[in-house]
Amino acid sequence: MPLRVKLAAAVLAAAFSLPAAAQDAARGAAVAEERACAACHGPGGVSPVPLMPSLAGQQPHFLTLQLILFREGLRQVPAMAEPARGLTDQQIEDIAAYFAAYPSAPKPDRGARDEALAARGAALSVQRHCNVCHLPSYAGRAQVPRINHQREDFLVHTLAEYRDNLRVGTDTQMNAVMFGMSNDDIRAIAHYLAHR
Amino acid sequence: MLRRHIIAAVMAAFPSLALAQAQPPAPPAWAQGRPAEMATSPLAPHAPRLTVTPPDRIPVSSLRVPEGFQVELWAHGLPGARVMVRGPNGTIFVGTRGIGRVYAVRDTGAERQVSTLLQGLTQPSGLAMRDGSLYVSAINRMLRIDNVEQNLANPQPVDMTAAFNLPDAPHHGWTHIQFGPDGRLYVPRGVPCNICDTDGERYALIASFNPDGSDRRIEARGVRNSVGFDFHPTTGQLWFSNHARDWAGNDMPNDTLHVNIRRGEHHGFPWCHGGFQDPAVNGRLCSEFPPPAMLLGPHVAPIGTHFYTGTAFPERYRNALFVALRGSWNRPRLSGFEVIVVRDEGGRLVKEPFLTGLRDDANQRFTGRPAGLLTMPDGALLISDEENGAIYRVTARR
Repeated sequence: MPLRVKLAAAVLAAAFSLPAAAQDAARGAAVAEERACAACHGPGGVSPVPLMPSLAGQQPHFLTLQLILFREGLRQVPAMAEPARGLTDQQIEDIAAYFAAYPSAPKPDRGARDEALAARGAALSVQRHCNVCHLPSYAGRAQVPRINHQREDFLVHTLAEYRDNLRVGTDTQMNAVMFGMSNDDIRAIAHYLAHR
Repeated sequence: MLRRHIIAAVMAAFPSLALAQAQPPAPPAWAQGRPAEMATSPLAPHAPRLTVTPPDRIPVSSLRVPEGFQVELWAHGLPGARVMVRGPNGTIFVGTRGIGRVYAVRDTGAERQVSTLLQGLTQPSGLAMRDGSLYVSAINRMLRIDNVEQNLANPQPVDMTAAFNLPDAPHHGWTHIQFGPDGRLYVPRGVPCNICDTDGERYALIASFNPDGSDRRIEARGVRNSVGFDFHPTTGQLWFSNHARDWAGNDMPNDTLHVNIRRGEHHGFPWCHGGFQDPAVNGRLCSEFPPPAMLLGPHVAPIGTHFYTGTAFPERYRNALFVALRGSWNRPRLSGFEVIVVRDEGGRLVKEPFLTGLRDDANQRFTGRPAGLLTMPDGALLISDEENGAIYRVTARR
C-alpha cells in the first residue's frame, strides 16, 4: 500500500470511529464513488486532470458551500452540473467530510519550482493579504479554501475568473481582491501556492 | 471514457484568459473604508450555513425568553430562513439570501410542511403580500406571483423588474419590502459600499411605489442600509432600522432605529451615523439631521423590525416594536444575536432583551442568527433563525 493511501486510510478510519456525526466520510466515500468524483478530482482527491482542482484536505465547510451553489445552479460549471444534481444536504456534507479527511498533497508531477517566480508570488501574496483569510499556512479555514498544494493551472484559471467576475463565491471578497491583477501576477501567485 | 468526456466538456467551457487592464485594486464593498492600520484584520462576514440543520442540533433548549413566555421549535429544514410573510390562507412564505430560495410553510396543525417555492434567485430577501399576490425582491429584481397559495406547486412569477427600475449595484441590494398603510410598496435601497459618495436619488434611501412599480417616491433619504421596517399600528408612521458603517471602531457607530416623520426626510448618511459624526466624511453636521429614535448597539445588525399587533402577549407588549439583531462581524467581541423589544414607557423608548441564548460570550461563538419576525393571528410571535434554517414560536403562558 503506498504511503499516501495508508495515511488516507488511517485518517478515514479515525473519522469512522467517531460517534454518528452530521458529516460521515464513509458515507461520503460511497456517494463520491457513485458520482465518479475521482474521474476528474483524482483518487485520494489529488487531481491528475488539467484545470481540475485537487480536493484532498480541502476545508469541509468550503466544499459544502460550493456543492450547494452547484446544486442550486448559483455557481454554473458545466462539468459539475450533473455530478451535483439532486444531492441531498446530507450527501453533500458527507462528500465534504470524505475529501477533507484525505491529507492535502501536491500534484506529484507539478514540475520544478522557479525560485524567482515563487519569490515574486510570495511577496504578492503578502501584499494582497492572501495570508490573512487563507491563513499563513494557506490551509484555509471554514468557507475560505485551502490553496496551497493546489494545481497551478487551476489556480491561474480560478484567480482570473474571480478577477473577470466569471466566478461567484458566497461573498464578493475574492472578486474585489483580484480586481485589476495582471496575468503575470496571477501566474506568480499560482506558482508560489502550488509549490508551497 | 467518462473521464475523457468530462475533460473535453470542461476544456470547451473554459474561455481563454483575457488580459486585464492595469487598474488599482478595489476592496470588496464590505471592506471598503477600512483604515490602513486594520488592513490585516481577520474580521470578515461570517460564513453562511446553507445546509439543513437537523432538529436535534437546533439550539432550542438554550433559548431564553422573559418570564411568562415560552418558546418552541415551530419549523425546520429551511436553510437561510429570513423574512416571513403570511398569505390569506395561512401559508407562511420565507425568504433567504445565499441559498437563493423562497420557501412555503403549510401548518397542518400537527406539523409544518416545508416546500421550496422558488430557487436559483440572487438573494431573494424581500417578501410582501397583497391581495393574494406574493411580491419577491431579489438582487436586483422584483417578481410577483399572483394567487400564490393556489399555485404553490407551480408558481408563475411575473417579472416586474423593468417597472420598478431598481439600481444595478449588487451590494446592499438585498432588501426588505413591505406594503404601507397607504397601499404602496416600500423598497429601500442601501449604499453599494461601506461608505461612499453615492447618487442620493438612487441609493441610501427608502422609496415607495404603486404596486405596479409606477409613481416612485422617495420616502426617506440618507439611509445607509435598512433591512427592516414596519408601520406603527396606530400612527401609520414608518419606523425603520439602519445598519451603520463598518471599520470606524468596535464600539461605534451604533446601528439605529428611526422614525420617518416627514416624507423625504434626510437621516444623515454619509456624514452622520446615528449621532456619530464620521471623521472620514466632511460636509454636513449631525446637528442638521433628526436624531435616531434609539441607538441599538454597535454592529448588532438589525434585520426584522416588527410591531407586535396581537393581543395574546401581556398589555405592556401591545404595539411594541420587536427587532431581530442578526449579530456582528466587524468587532472582535460578538454583539447582537438576539431579539430585543422596544417599548414606549410614558413617552420614553426603552429596549429590553426578549429572545437570547444564541450568543456564547465566554467562548465568543454564536449558535444562531435571528432574522425575521411575524405576528400570527393567534398572537404568537414567529422568529426565524437564518443560521439554523429554523422558525421558533414564542407564546405567552396562560
